[in-house]
Amino acid sequence: MVNPLRLIGYFLWMGKEIVTGTVDVIVALFTPRGYSSPMIVQLPLRCTTDLEITMFASSITITPGTLVAAIAASDGADDPPTLFVHVLFAGSEDEAMTDLYDMERRLLTAMRGKPPRPALEVFGRDEA
Amino acid sequence: MTTAIDVFIAFCVLSGSLLVLTSALAMFRAKDALSRINVFSPATGLGMPLVIVGCYVYLLQREGFSLYHLFIGLVGFASLIIVSSIASNTLSRATLLSGSPVHRYTRPNRLAYARGEDPHVDGPAAMHEPDEAQVGDEAQVGDEPRGDDPAGN
Repeated sequence: MVNPLRLIGYFLWMGKEIVTGTVDVIVALFTPRGYSSPMIVQLPLRCTTDLEITMFASSITITPGTLVAAIAASDGADDPPTLFVHVLFAGSEDEAMTDLYDMERRLLTAMRGKPPRPALEVFGRDEA
Repeated sequence: MTTAIDVFIAFCVLSGSLLVLTSALAMFRAKDALSRINVFSPATGLGMPLVIVGCYVYLLQREGFSLYHLFIGLVGFASLIIVSSIASNTLSRATLLSGSPVHRYTRPNRLAYARGEDPHVDGPAAMHEPDEAQVGDEAQVGDEPRGDDPAGN
């Protein structure tokens, strides 16, 4: 059940993320090799419906510094839908994924009315 | 009061245009196509909506409130946010599918190596040195998270 107040809160939070991402892009413009450590991370999703996946992908892309580069559809019960996200300003892969999962948690909390299970619990991250 | 509104309009329009300029410079600095699409987001996500807000307040101050102007402004604002993010998604997918190479120092590149198989990040587990990490095609992307499952039917 969509929680309108939380959805408005999510959009406000997205506005804040857009501003901080913009600051990152501007700072990197004046830093030597500012754009030289990109990464493409693989992000299995807890989103299930088309609307949730579309909103999450759009939220990632509208944030400066992150960009959805490819989408792999869920092909059954085992494989979740997966995004491949191009990240420009992150210290490490884990840091980037923590930020993205935080965004997903906020979106799903607004869309479903209750927070999803933690990503660590759902996916285990045992393939590392 | 009028001065404060004028300053606000000037702030919105000028900072919006400066953000577009900044994005253009950042696109020059970035080295590969994906990064260029990535650093363009400040222009479409913040710069152009700011210009629209500035223009709307200018019209509001000059011609008074009009439902039509408010409608046009809101539609423009929302369209920019939605269309620009979907357009960036489409552009980046098209860039990858056309085989454009990614930056040499894209580490990790999970489109080319699954987790635990990137020689630069996860240790020398992979066989060959990727001089220019070329991303796989879409079919490979779909298979990549778990690989094939011989036990499944």
